[in-house]
Order: sequence, then C-alpha cells, then structure tokens
Amino acid sequence: MEVIIDHKALECDITHSEIEFLSRKILDLNKQLIDSEKAKSRFLSLVANSLINPISVLLSMIPHLDPKNDVRSAKIYDTVYEQALVLDFRIQNLLAAAEIENGQVDISYALIDPTELVNEAIKSLKYAILEKNIQINIHNTIEQKVVSDPKKLYLIIRNLLDNGCFYGIKNGIIDVSIEEKESKLLVSVKNQGEGPKVEHKPQIFTRFAYGPEGYHGLGIGLSIVRDLCELMDGTIDYEADTSSVTFTMTLPLETNLSNSEAYGSNEFLFESFDDAIEL
Amino acid sequence: MIQGCSTFIHVGQIHVDTSPSAISTVLGSCVAVCLYDTKLGMGGMNHYLLPFWNGNGLQSPKFGNISIPKLIEAMIMRGSLPKTLVAKVFGGASINIGNSANTMMIGEKNILVAKEILKDYKISIVAEDIGGQNGRKIQFNLERGKVQMKYIARSDIGEGN
Repeated sequence: MEVIIDHKALECDITHSEIEFLSRKILDLNKQLIDSEKAKSRFLSLVANSLINPISVLLSMIPHLDPKNDVRSAKIYDTVYEQALVLDFRIQNLLAAAEIENGQVDISYALIDPTELVNEAIKSLKYAILEKNIQINIHNTIEQKVVSDPKKLYLIIRNLLDNGCFYGIKNGIIDVSIEEKESKLLVSVKNQGEGPKVEHKPQIFTRFAYGPEGYHGLGIGLSIVRDLCELMDGTIDYEADTSSVTFTMTLPLETNLSNSEAYGSNEFLFESFDDAIEL
Repeated sequence: MIQGCSTFIHVGQIHVDTSPSAISTVLGSCVAVCLYDTKLGMGGMNHYLLPFWNGNGLQSPKFGNISIPKLIEAMIMRGSLPKTLVAKVFGGASINIGNSANTMMIGEKNILVAKEILKDYKISIVAEDIGGQNGRKIQFNLERGKVQMKYIARSDIGEGN
C-alpha cells in the first residue's frame, strides 16, 4: 500500500514540474508574441485617438449642409454623410479595441431604454439599411428602463445590427428582440440569409479573422462585442440555420444604480474587515 | 477602516490609485497582484483569470502575462520606478476539485506567471497568500500599503473569479 502512495506522489511531482517547465516555456514564447503585437497596439491606440476629434466635428457639421431640394447635391451629401458615419463607426470600434487592450475599460451604469439604443444604432446605419431595403422590427417586452452601461451596450447593439445588415439579404427583415429572463437582459438580432457555420464559431469572435464570406469592415466588431459582454459578465453566441442567423447577447441586469457608481461598486461585500488578516 | 473610497475591480481590470483610497476584489483561482510604491503612497491592483494570452482575441488584461506588465507600466506612467515598488500576491486557489479546471491547474499557473514576471522586473514579493482551496476577499489599503484579507466560502465566489 505504501508503495502505491509513493508512486502517486512521484507522478504528482513529475506532473507539477512538467507543468512548471512548460508554463515557463509558454511564458517565454508569449513574450516574443507580445513584443511583436505591442507596436501594433500602440499604433491602434494612436490612430483611434487622433481620428476621433476630426470625425466628431465632421459628423456634427455635415447635417447643416443638407441641400434639401437640389438633387445632384443631395446625392453628394448622402455619400459624404454615409461615409462619415462608416468612418465614425470604425473609429469607435478601434477606440474600444484600444481601450480593452489597455485595460482601461470602466463600466459606468445608468438607467437606459434599450429601444432607444437600438433606434440610435439604426439611425447611424440608415444608409446601409436603405441600400438593402431592410425592414427592422423591434420587439421589446421590457416595460421599464434597465440599468446597464449605455455606451457599451450601444456599441454591442450597433455591431450586431451592422453585422445583420451586411449579411442580411436584400429586401429582408431584421428582428431585434429585447427581453428579460432570469434577471438577465437578452438582446437578439436575427437576420435573414445564410449564417456562418457552427465550425467557424471560434473565428467569428476573433479579431481580424475572416470567414469564408470574405472581408467586411475591420474584422474587429464581433471580437469587441465578445470582450465587452465578458467585461460586463455577459455572454454572446449565435445560432444559424439555412435561412437565418441569430446573434444573442445576455447581460446581467444591475439592480442598484447608486451602489454601482458613486460609492465604489459592490462595496457591500467589504462591509467589515475587522477580523481580517493583514498582510 | 479606510478613509477614502474603495474601488472594486472585476476580472480583467487594472486600477491604480493614491492614498487614502482602497482597491478591493474577490478571488477564486484568479490572481491579484498588488503593487505599492512606498515613496509615493500610490498603489495598483489587477485581477486576472488565466495565465497566458494565446494570441487569439484582444490582448485583454484578463490574462496574467498581459495584465501584470500593464499594471507595472501604469504605475511607472504615474511616476513610480520598479525599484521603489513592492508586490503582494493573492489568489490562485484550486476551486474546482475533480473537474477539468483543477487538472489544468489554472490557479497554480496563475501564481507562477505572477512570480516569473515580477522576477523579470526585479520587483520583490513582500507578502503573499496563494493557492489552497479557499476563495479570498481582499482590500488593498493605499494609506499604509497593507492588504486586508478574508477567506470566503466557495458559494461566495462568483463565476470567473
């Protein structure tokens, strides 16, 4: 019996030292990988930050140039406005990616109406929607406002809708459902058209990884959606059949707004440290 | 008892603050590295879930080898020097006995990454409470650079801590 125990201990020791050895090796390899990525990350952050101010000015000024009745100018105006909106969307995604990489993402909760966020996202994607003549139906079963991070939720919804518009068929329908289930906020975006196959799932949420459908945007939208959902303790997944694809995100619904913001969130967990160990 | 406000950090977050504030978190197999600058009275804490970024997805600070250098950089950006920094390491428990998370020894790998990276930066670990099978609540008091720690039941540890 003693011999068996010794064998087990020995095996355990070998496994431990092997894992330590391999972990050190992974760490070394990872350092090289990180170094090569570092330059890219810095560039990403720099570009996003230097572009955000000019595009904000452009977007606020362009609506004042609306030529209204001049058909030729109206076409030019629409093209300029459309491209400015696309550019703004891509810069917002670059900024979000840079923030996530820097670990500077602060969650700030507020009372929001999810339908309003969806409508705002629709407004920013109006040209893509018009081009494909897509009809968007919103089904919101939540009557009251919810507590969540509006900026992040907006970016998630905007990316999901943009994805739906790009992969959705012409003259198709996009259904946006908003519901509450087991204290979680569920937002799903269903578009008609062939969806990405299940075997492509790991790629779909990976940045710069393109599926067989080809290139679209920067290839970081859905990776940002995944990271933002994870940061807020939520999830993102999709289901696809031959005629439609549905992306569904869940976020836990916060119930206490004041505790989350002004006084240091979740401090109730730390009401007493009287008998704590001090190190 | 802390005088300033206490900031709670979740998985993948990094927070740097000055005295008299505090930074707190809850850990299971995750690890938190607390850095304290004894000269500036400034400290920072991270909270990471997994040891290594595998090259897929964004370089999120939920990975130890991303999060720890970023925490050190954040301290340096605010005027610290690696030689004036001391570290305290917490967490890395084996929470899920019998299932795959335990066989992969996530907690132990998380601890190993912290030690290796801090060694690289020549930052000494002056206190630690790591491994074991219990979760931990910690509060990093930046006024004195001390960490208050309590063990917690498994049921009190949220998923992914």
